[in-house]
Amino acid sequence: MSKAPATAKTPAPPMPTNKDDINGTWNFLEWGVERIMYSLSDGVDLKTYMSLYTSIHNFCTAQKAVGHQASANLNSNHRGAHLLGEDLYHRLNDYLKRHLAGVHAEMVKHADEALLTFYIKEWKRYTQAGMYNNHLFRYLNRHWVKREMDEGKKDVFDIYTLHLVRWKEDMFGSTQNAVMDAVLRLVEKQRNGETIEQSKIKDVVQSFVSLGIDDADSTKTTLDVYRQYFEKPYLEATSAYYEKESQQFLAENSVVDYMKKAERRLDEEKERVPLYLLPEIMQPLMKCCETALIAKHATTLRDEFQILLDNDREDDMARMYKLLARIPEGLDPLRTRFETHVRQAGHLAIEKVAEQGESLDPKAYIDALLEVHTQYAALVQNAFTGESEFVRSLDNACREYVNRNKVCAKNSSRSPELLAKHADNVLKRSTKATEEDDMEKMLNQVMTIFKYIEDKDVFQKFYSRHLAKRLVNGTSASGDAETSMISKLKDASGFEYTNKLQRMFQDMQTSRDLNNDYEEWVSQNIDKEDRKDEVDAYYQILGTGFWPLQPPSTPFAAPNTIIKTYERFQTFYSNKHGGRKLTWLWHLCKGEIRANYVKMNKVPYTFQVSTYQMAILLLFNENDSVAYEDMAGMTSLNKETLDPSIGIMLKAKVLTASPPNAPTATGTVYSLNYGFKNKKLKVNLNIGIKSEQKQEVEDTHKTIEEDRKMLMQSAIVRIMKSRQKMKHAQLVSETIGQIKNRFSPKVSDIKKCIDILLEKEYLERLEGDELGYLA
Amino acid sequence: MASEGEQTVKLVSSDNVEIVTERKVAERSMLIKNMIEDLGAPGEEPIPIMNVSEAVLRKVLEWCTHHKNDPAPSQDDDADSRKKTTDIEDWDQKFMQVDQEMLFEIILAANYMDIKALLDVGCKTVANMIKGKSPEEIRKTFNIQNDFTPEEEDQIRRENEWAEDR
Repeated sequence: MSKAPATAKTPAPPMPTNKDDINGTWNFLEWGVERIMYSLSDGVDLKTYMSLYTSIHNFCTAQKAVGHQASANLNSNHRGAHLLGEDLYHRLNDYLKRHLAGVHAEMVKHADEALLTFYIKEWKRYTQAGMYNNHLFRYLNRHWVKREMDEGKKDVFDIYTLHLVRWKEDMFGSTQNAVMDAVLRLVEKQRNGETIEQSKIKDVVQSFVSLGIDDADSTKTTLDVYRQYFEKPYLEATSAYYEKESQQFLAENSVVDYMKKAERRLDEEKERVPLYLLPEIMQPLMKCCETALIAKHATTLRDEFQILLDNDREDDMARMYKLLARIPEGLDPLRTRFETHVRQAGHLAIEKVAEQGESLDPKAYIDALLEVHTQYAALVQNAFTGESEFVRSLDNACREYVNRNKVCAKNSSRSPELLAKHADNVLKRSTKATEEDDMEKMLNQVMTIFKYIEDKDVFQKFYSRHLAKRLVNGTSASGDAETSMISKLKDASGFEYTNKLQRMFQDMQTSRDLNNDYEEWVSQNIDKEDRKDEVDAYYQILGTGFWPLQPPSTPFAAPNTIIKTYERFQTFYSNKHGGRKLTWLWHLCKGEIRANYVKMNKVPYTFQVSTYQMAILLLFNENDSVAYEDMAGMTSLNKETLDPSIGIMLKAKVLTASPPNAPTATGTVYSLNYGFKNKKLKVNLNIGIKSEQKQEVEDTHKTIEEDRKMLMQSAIVRIMKSRQKMKHAQLVSETIGQIKNRFSPKVSDIKKCIDILLEKEYLERLEGDELGYLA
Repeated sequence: MASEGEQTVKLVSSDNVEIVTERKVAERSMLIKNMIEDLGAPGEEPIPIMNVSEAVLRKVLEWCTHHKNDPAPSQDDDADSRKKTTDIEDWDQKFMQVDQEMLFEIILAANYMDIKALLDVGCKTVANMIKGKSPEEIRKTFNIQNDFTPEEEDQIRRENEWAEDR
């Protein structure tokens, strides 16, 4: 600034005395503006300030000019008084041009950071002077400039904006590239870890923003200049920098390390924004970084995913998830891979337990299913923030390996069957007491797998069978746990699904009340004498429709001892509920018999027996020995029931066979063993029979097939009733839709059902492929 | 140092009379306000108000004192309805009951010192003086010589016929 000191010392020219003397006025003003431009720091005294202002005011209000202009314009359209000042405005404009030419000449002598420093220093000086001048020229702003702008002139600006316009045209256009290059080099230095003067960049941003004068309204600014000359090159440089860096880094380092690096870089860039950039750049900047750092290497990252999965690298997977989540469609391939992996893990776990074959322990199987689910559910939570799409991938995988695995290979309903069995084991009273919390936890685990079971109807069948047994035999561990489980099932599959289960519970309660009523009835209606030969009994009345129980498979002549007792109850019951038929489920009944003939320490043994065994043992009240054929004759039991019942008592040495080891058949004679000994006083002889259990499972499967047919047929009829007419294919798909939450029906089965309904004339064939409903 | 509210400034009229007033009062003038903003508080240094005589300056400061707590005019003040009406509040009306010479001096001073509200009040007062008067009455009020030729006058009347109050 060679000019500056000289000017500062120049003595003030005289304040113009002649108001409309443009040359005199401007000479004086130029001296003042020059002082403000170059030696503002020396201060401007009040007198100078006021003189400058006043001379502008005086020039603009010069009388002579007004009179001259007014008469010339008398007949023109000019509205209102003519305002003076145009000369001053243009002279100032020319002055600024000259001034900036000087600055520009100086600026090109600098390069890089020095240039940046120079630009900022000059910018600050110039804009500050611009604000002073704006105040000094306020009279011009208020009148001449305002009028010009009001009349729509786009090339006239208030004095401060004029400063900016001049800078933009005389400085910015030819220097912004060099300035921006210097800025970008500075940013690169910072990215490389050097410390830089951030305020410089901030100043440049501010300068570029100020220069965005709105074309439509010069009193406002837009970000156009900033966007084009700052943001755009900034983003381009950022892209280039990170593309290069990431490629280099990946060539020399592991993917895991790269992810850490990328994560750090993204954070750094984000933190950089509030330091010296505009918040508006955040979104495009992040996008640009994400493209360079993530999208360009997405394939490489994803290829690493399998390795991370195999090694349970949860933290690294979380990192990968976070990175890929930032780019569009970044996660889809990850989800697919995750799903495949979980499915394989499931199959692997099942294959291990599948080696046990037919005797597969339900707990081991369910544990295997659960283990995989638990592990990957935790991964989804921890690494993938529980994101719903990953949850769905997990669910898909689990549904797949739960329903289609090695154990289910032969029989697709093995999974629900084993799950029901497992639930039974959990809910059954066992030797080790289960804490309430543990119970709840185990039930929740059952529900976890239940959610994935496709053949929910199979589970329902087995579960209700097991429940029936638990209730009838009184082997439930806890009523609360049973209710809790049923309400869980209800939540998951609806009221209808658990309706029968709940009715079974109701029956148990009704039975309790009924027994109380009966006791009262007996005490009121039966003589004391008569009651003596009665056997203490407890009755359970089970609704035929709700309980999955079959009537006994064998004829049975109940022993005399209990006939009177149960007939009396029957009388009571038919009095109370006329028209109901009671069927005695002898095979589910049990009792206790005291053996007065053998004692331990003078206390007789008690045998817990089935009703059938009771009938057999009671025969020995008459004789010490009974022949097989007499036993069969007097109890009427068929061979399939009689033989195993005797078998157990032989094994427990309650009876002895003669000849020893003779087959259970005609000719063999059985005798009471007076030398019976046992460690316990109560001996349980009522042991379930293996073959019976197996038979039951088979029966259950058979009923499932039947029930499914009914379910499909009723669904078809329901749909047709509401639609009246429907295309075949459409009917099939809607039927599937209606029942898929119970089981996955086969299309061929549905077609069979439709044929059955056609035969039964519920439906008719119409033209084309249509079916019609026959009421 | 005294807070801004209590600070005083020394103004000097064109006829060299010093008048001390509150800074807040003086800053009703945008000229003075901007100057203080640019140069800092002047302290003891006098501010020359070169185009305003003592009598007028005192009058202007009287108005500024009364209006010192008025809210600062907003950016869009031009669109304000205040400008559209010729209503003047009571105090200002009384304030403007001065001879014509003084009235015009006040208006010029308000324009020079950039006190928009005072300028508006002054112009409205003049407008009210014109309202409802015939050209002849207006000439009389403001002591204006009719320098139109009869032809010129006729032409103007014809051009402005639309505005006649009939």
